[in-house]
This record gives sequence, C-alpha cells and structure tokens, in this order.
Amino acid sequence: MAGEVIYEVKNVSKRYGSVVALDGASLKLHAGEVLGLVGDNGAGKSTLVKVLSGAHDADGGELFLDGKEVRWHDPRQALDAGIETLYQESGLAPHLTVSQNVFLGREKFVKGLLGKLGFLARKQMEEEAHHDLEAVGIAVPASNRSVSQLSGGQRQAVAIGRAVSWAKKVIILDEPTNHLGARQAGEVLQIVKAAKAKGLGVIFISHTLPHVLEVTDRVVVLRLGKIVKDAPTHLFDGDTLVAMITGTITELPSEKKSQ
Amino acid sequence: MTDSKQTLSVMDRARSLVGNQTSLLILVMIVLSIVFTAFSNGTFLSTGVFANILTDWGGYILLAVGQTLVVISGGIDLSVGSTVSLSSVVAGFVMVKVLGLTAELKGVDAWGVLFLAALISIATGLVVGAINAVLINVLKIVPFIATLSTFGAAAGLAIIISGGMPMQGPSDFSLINPVRIPGIDPLVFDTGLFSPMVLIMIIVTIVVGLFLHKARFGLYTYAIGSNAFAARAAGINVKKHTAKIYLVSGALSGLAGFYAYVRLGSGSPSSGTGMELYAIAATVIGGASLMGGIGRMWGTALGTLILFTVQSGLLMTGVATDWKQIIVAILIAAAVAVQTLQKKNGAR
Repeated sequence: MAGEVIYEVKNVSKRYGSVVALDGASLKLHAGEVLGLVGDNGAGKSTLVKVLSGAHDADGGELFLDGKEVRWHDPRQALDAGIETLYQESGLAPHLTVSQNVFLGREKFVKGLLGKLGFLARKQMEEEAHHDLEAVGIAVPASNRSVSQLSGGQRQAVAIGRAVSWAKKVIILDEPTNHLGARQAGEVLQIVKAAKAKGLGVIFISHTLPHVLEVTDRVVVLRLGKIVKDAPTHLFDGDTLVAMITGTITELPSEKKSQ
Repeated sequence: MTDSKQTLSVMDRARSLVGNQTSLLILVMIVLSIVFTAFSNGTFLSTGVFANILTDWGGYILLAVGQTLVVISGGIDLSVGSTVSLSSVVAGFVMVKVLGLTAELKGVDAWGVLFLAALISIATGLVVGAINAVLINVLKIVPFIATLSTFGAAAGLAIIISGGMPMQGPSDFSLINPVRIPGIDPLVFDTGLFSPMVLIMIIVTIVVGLFLHKARFGLYTYAIGSNAFAARAAGINVKKHTAKIYLVSGALSGLAGFYAYVRLGSGSPSSGTGMELYAIAATVIGGASLMGGIGRMWGTALGTLILFTVQSGLLMTGVATDWKQIIVAILIAAAVAVQTLQKKNGAR
C-alpha cells in the first residue's frame, strides 16, 4: 500500500551545548504511509521534528526528499518543498483569524498596484480557507474569527487542516491529539487517514499509544536520541510498545519467534 | 449549529468594525470635551482650542503610530523622542552650517529647502531605526535595552551637533498655522482647524494604518507579536520584518523631527525630550497591548487626541498644569485596566 520513499533521514545528529538530543538517527518515510514516532520525554522526538521541518539545522547527517539531497536553513524552504509541520506548541497565532492563520506566509493579494504594495484579498482568503478546511473534513468555525476565540479542539483542527491542505509531500504532526476529547481526537485521526489516502507521507508523533497503534503503518521508537526500533505497527501491542519506549525490552517477541 | 456560527460571525464583524476600545475612546473624548467646556465657561469648545490640540497631536502622532507597530510586534521603541531631537538638529545643521542658510529665508521661498530638510530628517530617523534593528537582530539585545541605548546616544549626539543650542534656520510658519476656508468670516465661524503640517501627519497616519490593517506588512506585524514561533514556522522572515518595523518607526520619528523643526523654525536638541513616554502612553491608551499581537491605528490616533485634549482642558479650566502628569498616569492605568477587563470578559 505504501509507495516510494518520499523523505529519508540519514544519520542525523543534533546537540544543544553538551546535550546530545539526536544521535545518528536514520529513517525512511514512504508516500501514503503513516509513520509513528514514539519515545519518552527527552528522547529527541521534537528535535527530530524541528530538523525535518527546517526549524533547526542539524549538526550532521543528510536529508533526502524524493531521492534528492536537501538542506534546510529555514522553515520556509521546507514549506516550499511541500513539507508541512504541525508543532506541539500550537503553530497558530492566537490574535489572527482562522483564515489569516491558514494563509499566513502564503497570502493572496488584491489585483493591481495595491496588490503589489501587499494589500490583501481578505474576502477571497476567508472563502478559500473555509473551503479548504471543509475539503479535509474539518467542521470550520467562521474563518474570520480570531483563533483565541476557538476551543482547544477547534484550534487543533484548524492547525491540522492548514497543514493537510497545504502539504504536497510530507506532513509532520507533533502530538496532534494532545489535550483533545475522545470525539475530537477521533476526528483528527480521520484527517490523518485522509492525508494518507491523498498519498502524503505522514509522520505521527504521539504519547497516546492507542492512537499510534490505530493510525500508523510503521512505528519508530526513539530513546535517548537514538532510533532503537523501526518495525511495522502490527508487530506491536500496547505493552510491547511501552516496554520498548522505556527500554525494558529491546526486541519484539514476534521477532524472537520468527528467528 | 452552522446558523448560530453565522450569527456570531456577523456579531464579530460588527464588533471588529467599531472595536470595543474605539467606541470607548470616542465616548471618553466626548465626556472630556463636555466636562472641560462646562468648567471653562464654554471657552473650551472653540475652533482655536481644538486647532491647538491638533497642533500638539501632530507633533506626537507619528511617534505613536510607529510605536503602535513596534508594540503590536511585541517590542518597544524608547528611542523615538531622542530621534525627534536628533533629526531636527541634523536638518538645522545641514541648512545652517552646510548650506549657509539663515532665518532670513522665509515663507514660500523656503519650501524647497524645507523639503530637503524633511528628507534629511527622515534619513536621520532611518539611521537610528537601522541601528535599533542591528542591536536587536544581530546583537540579540532585547528591544527595551537596545532602544534605551539609542535613546541616550541620539540625545547626546543632538547636543553635540547643535552645541546644546537651537539652530535657527529657514522657516515657514504658515505651514503650522491652521488654514481657513476662504469666504467664511472667521469671526462668524472659524474654519481654521487643520494646518498643512497636521494634514500631512493625518495622511501619513492613515497610510500607515492601511498598511497595518489591510496589507501583508500589518499581518506579519500582528503574527510576530502574537506568536513569533508560529510566524517563523509559517515561513515569515521574522528578523527581516522586525527590522522593517524599527526602520519605519525611525523614519516616522524623523518626520516628527521635521514637524518639530517647522514648528520652532529651528532644530532644537530638546525638541523631542520626553516624547517617547507620551508616544507609549498614547499607544497603550489606544488599546495596544505591550504583550504584542493587539492594537489598532484608530485607537492610537484617538489615544493621542485624548492625551492632548486632557492637557489642553486642564490648562483652560485653570487646573495647575503640574497635575498633567498625574492625569496622564491615571489614563494609562485606566486603559490597561479596561484591557484586562475586556480580556476577562472575552475569554472562554
């Protein structure tokens, strides 16, 4: 079901001062695949996300998008290449409206001289934001509403909707179901499945292991900055996943059996 | 569900159109005018008094306009007052010492050289803004300290260049005097409210306001003040935009320096002393939040107007002007208290 390798990480490292946050991490993401990224706090998940999305420069290692080596110095470059990221700390600006957030960094302008001066086509963006969010399955709150007036679930829906509607190749979701109720989390998982069906490569980072087991095709376990396991999701259950994350086991029972 | 959302969106639109803060400020203006008129035996309510208020307003508004951009972006610019002093002095210096012009050059004959003085003032302001941008972006100094440094440096440089004395040069005071509509007898009805310089200040305020509320420049300014991380993640070059904001604030302060020059007919090293506090006060009274992300140009224009209405009213009603600063302090405290209350009410 999964297609070609769309995004590849080879031997990526990152240190903050004397702290090694990532230590030679490598992974492959395929088109139409949901890859779960799990690990304890401080395992390096957020650092890896920031390297993948261009928010941080890696100290060492290589990134390949569609087989071509890429280097990000700025999130803009990753965005332009088709990689969308939903950050754990909401990536929305609370004082801006829904449509302003959806179009932030990709504004539409009015025609003519005023447009050249940067005057915005507000109505058009409001309508398109509404339409785009609906298209990815999000019950859209009024798109001219300020984000600070939305509930936590609505904010998250807008943030994910923005990422899915803009993503051309890869979408990285850092804790997308955090602080959400069961119904809202279910909606988010539906959106993830829709993104996968669109042929996007999805990286799904979460502490909520049942969500990981439900929605991912493959799971990568990070511990202390290193990737300690990369295996199809069906080989894990809740217990083995926890044991793997905490380091009480290093091999899956199913692997032992098959050997 | 969709229906209730639709109604809400109409409500939101109505609210954003008027703006809670804006209607409140207009109310404050009206009440102040009535009170001052009553206590001044009616003399407050006259064209002459409001023309004077507008002349003061014109001197400060561009500082408040620049400050509004900076504050919405989550920063602060303490250097604006000193930039007024410096740019008016530099303009005077170039005209008097470099070009050898004197105060003999007056009226329409001085327009050409005054236009040059305006450009020099703006350029001086841009230099201060550029230094602020470098201190903040390159040396990573927080805006408060960065602009505190340029505040001191610009004030000192203004004194050094001028020798501590105003430099009298070419002038045209008709630029600062209210223009009357011809054919209407001023004794019957005085139409002299706006001077040419005040009109220019109003136009600049409107133009910057349009860029703040309708254009990408403003959107990025709000985005950075609201959540700088999200702004960067959305691909905005935060440093570049921050630099632009301080450059605009500098340029506007420079133009305010030219206003000060025209008003005094000289470049004075003390012409901008203390102005930064009024600019920040006007911005905050106008509803901008020093936490960033919040503020409107309308609010700032009205906030500045309220400040000088109070000042003028206190003078006219015979309250000692010593009270001025205390009243301004109360206004600032009240404005921030109102903001906090609105936030509480609006929070869900």
